[in-house]
Amino acid sequence: MIRNSELWGGLFWLAIGAFVIWAGRDMGLGKLNDPGPGFAFYWIGILMSALSLCVIAYAILTGGPTLGSLWEGTRWGKVLLVVALLLVYGVGFERIGFIPCTLALLLVLMWFVDPVDWRLSIVIAVVATFGVWAAITKWLKIQLPAGLLAGVLG
Amino acid sequence: MDLFASMVQGFGVALQPINLLYCFIGVFIGTLVGVLPGIGPVSAMSLLLPVTLSGSPEAGIIMMAGIYYGSMYGGSTTSILVNIPGEAASDVTCLDGHEMAKRGRAGAALGMAALASFAAGTFAIVALMLVAPALARVAVAFGPPEYFSLMVLGLTILSFLSQGSMAKSLLMASFGVLLGLIGIDQITAQARMTFDRLELLDGIGLVPIVMGLFGVAEILSNLERELKREVITARIGGLWPSLADWAACKWPIMRGTVLGFFLGILPGGGAVISSFASYALERKMSGTPERFGKGAIEGVAGPEAANNAAAGGAFIPLMTLGIPPNVVMALLLGAFVIHGLQPGPLLMTQNPALFWGVVASMYIGNAMLLVLNMPLIGMWVQVLKLPYRVLFPLILMFCIVGVFASGNAVFDVFVMVVFGVLGYLMRKFGYEPAPLVLAFVLGPMLENNLRKSLILSHGEFMIFLERPISAACLVLAAIALLAPLVPNFARRREKLATDQT
Repeated sequence: MIRNSELWGGLFWLAIGAFVIWAGRDMGLGKLNDPGPGFAFYWIGILMSALSLCVIAYAILTGGPTLGSLWEGTRWGKVLLVVALLLVYGVGFERIGFIPCTLALLLVLMWFVDPVDWRLSIVIAVVATFGVWAAITKWLKIQLPAGLLAGVLG
Repeated sequence: MDLFASMVQGFGVALQPINLLYCFIGVFIGTLVGVLPGIGPVSAMSLLLPVTLSGSPEAGIIMMAGIYYGSMYGGSTTSILVNIPGEAASDVTCLDGHEMAKRGRAGAALGMAALASFAAGTFAIVALMLVAPALARVAVAFGPPEYFSLMVLGLTILSFLSQGSMAKSLLMASFGVLLGLIGIDQITAQARMTFDRLELLDGIGLVPIVMGLFGVAEILSNLERELKREVITARIGGLWPSLADWAACKWPIMRGTVLGFFLGILPGGGAVISSFASYALERKMSGTPERFGKGAIEGVAGPEAANNAAAGGAFIPLMTLGIPPNVVMALLLGAFVIHGLQPGPLLMTQNPALFWGVVASMYIGNAMLLVLNMPLIGMWVQVLKLPYRVLFPLILMFCIVGVFASGNAVFDVFVMVVFGVLGYLMRKFGYEPAPLVLAFVLGPMLENNLRKSLILSHGEFMIFLERPISAACLVLAAIALLAPLVPNFARRREKLATDQT
């Protein structure tokens, strides 16, 4: 029971629902003829909690897959690596700049996550990064962070 | 005569060189994302939403619409040749299309898919042209209670038609409304659930949520398992179906077209459900149902006609009521809004050039798609050969760039990553992302109309039942909510969900 993934899913949404009820009350419910800013939140929280309880009840009555079975035989390490890379990319995006960050991201993805021939990966990374940079900044006139290359790119 | 004059005006707009170019770009990208598994029209449209800012509203909307109906065409190519649907609406085409390909009839399957799509797409545009003005006249009488109830109906039907547990789908719809309400309250100007973050005062952006839930989550899900693709290229053969094929398919195409169009109009309905419904209908009506799943060409023609007709029908609620019936139309609504336009009953009178221009462009786009899909099939086969390990880093890069360009903020990139992880976990735990996104878009409108209705009625909830249209919508929503409790309905719904899976 304790490893039932459906149960944990239901409990997660129940916690969110309970928080939304509290937040709605905190914002102010107002009156029925003049609903306040928390009115909709409060009722959505109640609806979410009720639906979560349905999910939990169903999980208790009929069971469900275990948490471990959801990741059994999968390459979950690659998923974690990609998420970590995206977070690092986000942190460095403005300081280091679009071009160096994107080049590094593409190369790491093509070398370590799902390997591609290294020569081909360099060609793809360089063409894609500079192609997208040119299209976005020159054609669409949208600024991308220059970062370390601010002096070179102007 | 009015209609004729409007269409002349529409073609005047659609045939302008710049609009023709945007239409071509739209249907080309639509076909491309339809062909490529792992990226669908939702991701492509969110990615290109900022691009629409660089041109006129007509050009932007024409391009976005082209991506949607273009992807319906392209999706069948992957289903037939690789047995992986390029997008969800082509799931069912795998069953008989790929079987035909394995038996050396890939050409006939591809040709029939393209021609059925063309016929259904054209019918849907004519019907859109005739139905939309009439519905817009009725919609002028809609007040806040009607809008509120119609949106409740849309979300309930979408949850009803979603795969798996209805409680989970409704939970996702509720969470979507909640996310849509984050930011400054429209009436009291109070910050709501912003956690003292300045970036959240304007609310969470649609693009980061969509790119996270559909783009990044799809990549994460694909990465954790080895994707094996075997492209059938050896015997594509002639693309023009034989006379016997035509004879077998003429009624499935007609039935699929009509069914798809009406399911497309339905709030919460759409291309996916219509293709499954058409397949089930054809199997039921066939004298030889045992051929289905073993390469019956009717199993390709009907669903392909249905999903294209549904794509056309889906424009009606958006253009006439201002309510998107599905996630793709929600993105199109986003394109209208960033150009300062509000789709709805007044769009046809206030912006006739835009409305009729988009409708006329769909005729032209359909013809372009036939050209793209018939003679250029070899090129799409080459695209299919691109390995996923090359494709996914590029898709990730486009997601990041699209999200950053939509709001010019790194915060949005983090929002996308968070929703990417959430979307990945949602898939694992069996929660559908589509109700969440549609509810996110409808959330502010839903709350606004609820509060306005209650203010109008001095706090009386009876206002929703006293007005006939509103009451009818709520009764239908209640039926959809309660239907799963009836064992016979529950079994049918479960079967549909299993078929879709």
